[in-house]
Amino acid sequence: MLTPAELVWLIAAVAKGDEAAFERLYAATRAKLFGVVLRILRRQDLAEEVIQEAYVKIWNSAGQFNPALASPITWMASIARNRAIDVVRKKGEISIEEEPTAMEVAADSPDPLARREMTEELKRLLECVGRLEPDRQKLVLLAYYNGWSREQLAAKFETPVNTVKTWLRRSMMDIRECLGL
Amino acid sequence: MMAFSEDHIALAAEYALGTLDADERAQVETMMAVDAEFTAIVHAWEYRLGVLNQMVGSIEPRPIVWENIKAAVGHSGAQAPMELPETPQVPPAVVEQAPVVEPAPVADNLNVIQSNAAQSNVIQLSGRVRRWRNVASFASAIAAALIAMLAVQVYRPDLLPDGLRPKPRIQTVEVKTPALPAPPSAQYVALLQQNGGSPAFILTVDAATKNFTVRKVGGDAEPGKSFELWLISDKLPQPRSLGVIGGAEFTARPVLSSYDAGTINSATYAVTVEQAGGSPDGKPHSTPIYTGKLIETVPAGAAR
Repeated sequence: MLTPAELVWLIAAVAKGDEAAFERLYAATRAKLFGVVLRILRRQDLAEEVIQEAYVKIWNSAGQFNPALASPITWMASIARNRAIDVVRKKGEISIEEEPTAMEVAADSPDPLARREMTEELKRLLECVGRLEPDRQKLVLLAYYNGWSREQLAAKFETPVNTVKTWLRRSMMDIRECLGL
Repeated sequence: MMAFSEDHIALAAEYALGTLDADERAQVETMMAVDAEFTAIVHAWEYRLGVLNQMVGSIEPRPIVWENIKAAVGHSGAQAPMELPETPQVPPAVVEQAPVVEPAPVADNLNVIQSNAAQSNVIQLSGRVRRWRNVASFASAIAAALIAMLAVQVYRPDLLPDGLRPKPRIQTVEVKTPALPAPPSAQYVALLQQNGGSPAFILTVDAATKNFTVRKVGGDAEPGKSFELWLISDKLPQPRSLGVIGGAEFTARPVLSSYDAGTINSATYAVTVEQAGGSPDGKPHSTPIYTGKLIETVPAGAAR
C-alpha cells in the first residue's frame, strides 16, 4: 500500500493527465474501493459498474482534490460510495417490496471486514459513535457500512420508518456536537 | 457554516451517511450545484465519516474493470496495470465464505495513534498474525457493526489510562430563549432545462426576501441575442419578464417581490431567446427553450 503522501502525488499527476500515474493510483486503491462498494451493492456486476464510473470521475476531477480536506483514499472512497448509494437508492425502493428475502440475502452473504490501521480521525469518530445508545450505534454503522435505507433499517430494528428518521437525525447531530463540528 | 440551519446540516449529514432516499439525494445534489458553502458542509461530513472505510476489507475487482476504465477515459496504452505490493487482498470468491475479522487486543489499539506508514505496516503485520477466522453464525452485517462497536468500546475515553484520556473540550452551548430570531427561510430551486437534459440555468429563490439568483451553467446566447427569464403563471394573463439573464455567471435580482408566494411557488420559469438586451415590448418572442418549476430544498425552520 502506498502512503497517503504518495497517493497525493499520484492524484496531482493524474490531474495533469498522467496515464501512468492513474494506473498506479488504480492499482493501489482498487481493492479498497471495490470492497467499499461491494458491501453496499452486494452484487459483483453492479459493484464493477460503479467502480468503473467512480474511477472515470476520479480521472476527470483529480484537479479538485484538496489534500487539506481529506486523505486521498477517503476522497476516492467518497466518490465511489456516493455512486453506490445512488444506485441502491434508485433501484432499492421497489426491490425491497418485490423481494421480501432481500434483507436476509444481504445479511447472510458475508463480507470480510478487516481491521487495518486506525487513524486518529477514526478513533475520534468511533469515540463519538460510542457515546450513542447501543441501538443507535448499530443503526449508524449499518447505514454507513451496508448503505441501508431508512426502510431497511426500520425492518431490521422492527420500528416505524419515522422513528428511524428521528433516530438518524438525532444521532448525526449528537455526533456533530461530539466532534465539535 | 453559521449561515446554515440545523436542517441543512442534518440533510448534509444524512446525505453523507447515505440514508436519504433518491429524491432527497437529488435535492442535496442540486443544492450542492448552487451553493459552494453547502457543498463544503456535505464534504466535511463525507470526509469525517469516510474514515470508517478504513475498517472495510479490500476485495480485488476483476481485470476487466481496469480495461473498461481505460477505454472510458480514452487511454492509448494497453499495458497491464502495474502490480504493487498490497495489503492482503481477498479474492471475490471469499464473498461466499465466513467473514475474516481482525479484532486487535486493547493494548495494540492503544498504540495505534499515528498514521505513519511505516508504523502502520508493523501494526498490520502483527494484526495479521492474530487474525482468526470467525466461525460465528451471525450475519456479517451485524458482525461489521459489532466489530466497530468493539473498537468503540476500546476508545471509550473513560476506559483509557489517565495519560491517554483526551482533555475535556469546552463546548459553548447556545441557550435558546423564547425570543428566537426568525427561522431560516425556505429555499427554492428550479433547474431550467430543455426536455429534461442537463440544466442551462439554476434558479434559486429565497422565500423570505423573494430575491432570486440565476446561475448560468450552460452556454451563452448566440451573438446578437440575449436570454430572458419569464414567470408564467395561470394567475397572470401573460408571461412576466424577470429580466435578461446569462450575461454573467450569476444574476441576482429582487424582481419577484411584487408577486405573492403562491404565484412564485407554482409558476413555471422559462427562458426565451430575445434580441440583444431583451424583449422591447415586455412579451416573449420565441418559444421557451429552457423551463423549470421550483422545488423546496429546505423547508423553513422545520420541526425536528
